[in-house]
Amino acid sequence: MSEVTRESVQQRNGQGDGRPETSHHPETDPERKDKNYYGIPPIKHAHWTWQIPIYFWIGGLGAGAHMFSTVAQLLGHEDEALQRASRYTVLVTMILSPVLLIWDLGRPERFLNMMRVFKLRSPMSVQSWSLLVFGNLAGLVATRQAAEDGLLGNNVLSRLLIRTVPDRLLSVLALPVGLNVGSNTGNLLSATSVPIWARNWLFMGPVFLASGLSTALSWLSLVLRLTRSGEEKTLRVLHRAEKATILIEAALVAASLARMGRWSKPLFSKEVAPLFVGGTLICGILAPFMLLSGRESRPKSLLASLLALSGGLMFRFAMIRGGRISADDPEAYFTFTKGENAPQPEDKV
Amino acid sequence: MATGFLTDTTVCIGCKACEVACKQWNQLPADGYEFTGDSYDNTKQLSGSTWRHVAFIENPKKRRLTGDVDLVALAEDVKDQLPGGAELDGLGRWTFMSDVCKHCVEAPCQQACPTGAIIRNEFDNVYIQPDVCNGCGYCVPACPYGVITQVPEDGRAFKCTLCYDRQKDGLEPACAKACPTNSIMFGDVEDLKVMAEQRVATLHNKGYTQAFVYGTPEVGGTGGIGGNHSKFILMDEPETYNLPRHPFLPQEKFKGGVIASAVAATVLGAVVAWAFRD
Repeated sequence: MSEVTRESVQQRNGQGDGRPETSHHPETDPERKDKNYYGIPPIKHAHWTWQIPIYFWIGGLGAGAHMFSTVAQLLGHEDEALQRASRYTVLVTMILSPVLLIWDLGRPERFLNMMRVFKLRSPMSVQSWSLLVFGNLAGLVATRQAAEDGLLGNNVLSRLLIRTVPDRLLSVLALPVGLNVGSNTGNLLSATSVPIWARNWLFMGPVFLASGLSTALSWLSLVLRLTRSGEEKTLRVLHRAEKATILIEAALVAASLARMGRWSKPLFSKEVAPLFVGGTLICGILAPFMLLSGRESRPKSLLASLLALSGGLMFRFAMIRGGRISADDPEAYFTFTKGENAPQPEDKV
Repeated sequence: MATGFLTDTTVCIGCKACEVACKQWNQLPADGYEFTGDSYDNTKQLSGSTWRHVAFIENPKKRRLTGDVDLVALAEDVKDQLPGGAELDGLGRWTFMSDVCKHCVEAPCQQACPTGAIIRNEFDNVYIQPDVCNGCGYCVPACPYGVITQVPEDGRAFKCTLCYDRQKDGLEPACAKACPTNSIMFGDVEDLKVMAEQRVATLHNKGYTQAFVYGTPEVGGTGGIGGNHSKFILMDEPETYNLPRHPFLPQEKFKGGVIASAVAATVLGAVVAWAFRD
């Protein structure tokens, strides 16, 4: 061995046993800590920051509130306080949702390009159009409600609104679109290459919808109790529905975890575990269920509502953050795309 | 006619002329001076500002030198019988791979795009119309190869255009033009497919039985993507090149998800209706 080589080899090894260390292949070099191509993620994570999880939260809340009040109407349960609370809630969420979404765009001034095409294959396009239709229908219903409540003054326009807007028909028409706004937030995530989301394509929509309904019921119950309005029966129904929805949500979260399998790891990482285990499972599901299952009382119900609402928000943050960690992990993506784990066209379920 | 690339990594010398040519022609900014490993790879990955990326994979051979080997003599004078009984491939050498947008036949980014900004142009290339893109960023996690990113300073998403402007004037893309070893070949995808098969057959005859084409419906263009118009001849596992073995079309299961959600919505509706009993 030449002198130059020997020196460099000895410097590198420290002991100078004459074994040149020339390999930097991830599988043969014991000094390499990063796997694959220097640990650089093979896919890119979404840039979404706080606007998107908050939109997912209020979008689900609006969809759930609309569903509850429409079902109440269809079953002939007339409670004006409930309708009022629900319609204004939907109006506010449907005004805030596009604001958050446009805020998140790289070129916000081009938001109208979302309306250029209608693509059933693009979950984002479906979401944009659903928001447009649901927002406008629900907005019309809420405007009529405002006219009824005298918020628009006693003038020709108000009377015209009350006379011409068929609120029941519009609410029913808006129902499937609104439900799609709620569930599509989950389907939108699963239609990506990110393992933790893509793996769970079956339960992603349902779990977001159930969680959205649970936050909506909690919100309505919170508002009706705080304003001390709403019939006794409405509160009783809300209480019962909240409990059942939380159970369904818990089952769907469990099914999601089972389906995600090893790729659910990011949800239990140091960064996301407080949001997922603490926020979603304990604060959003377990605690409200315990509070609701005992004897009913006003403070307990209020606390349960608050916990379920914040649990729903933390669930959405956990899913988005978990997706980022999953996308940044080369091992997760490569194990996912190695064999039969990734969704394939011929798969039925 | 569909055009595409065939990147033969066996003759790539890692000169990065393609990267430079691409950046110059398309006026893309630099990515800073951070390097991976011990190599001069300072772009690290494909992104909205790097449309060609030469990966420097250090010593892809799963063998290590043993014994007292004179590396200098080994490098200067390669004889049949190497000193120390070493094999030439045992040297710490590089594998290079010039990565680029795969221009999928069924492109996940195109399907994800809600504005219709991502289209297939007349050359059957996947092309982002910069005057339409509003920077929603949904194509970024949809891409199974991590090709597209949003450029923060600009807001929009960018990726390889397969030099749409040059093709319209009858020129080959800048990277293929600049490649000194013809590692990057440009042409009709049908021709390139035949060329790829011939090249792999030649390599197999020479004893390099590990050579294969990446980007076919069997490897690299799988899961509903239907193959890639940018194919690669690889000599190692796809993962070594930071490529997925069996990528998939993420939108394939969107319909199933919507059906599952409709079922869930019905169940939840029934539960709410049940709560109204008495």
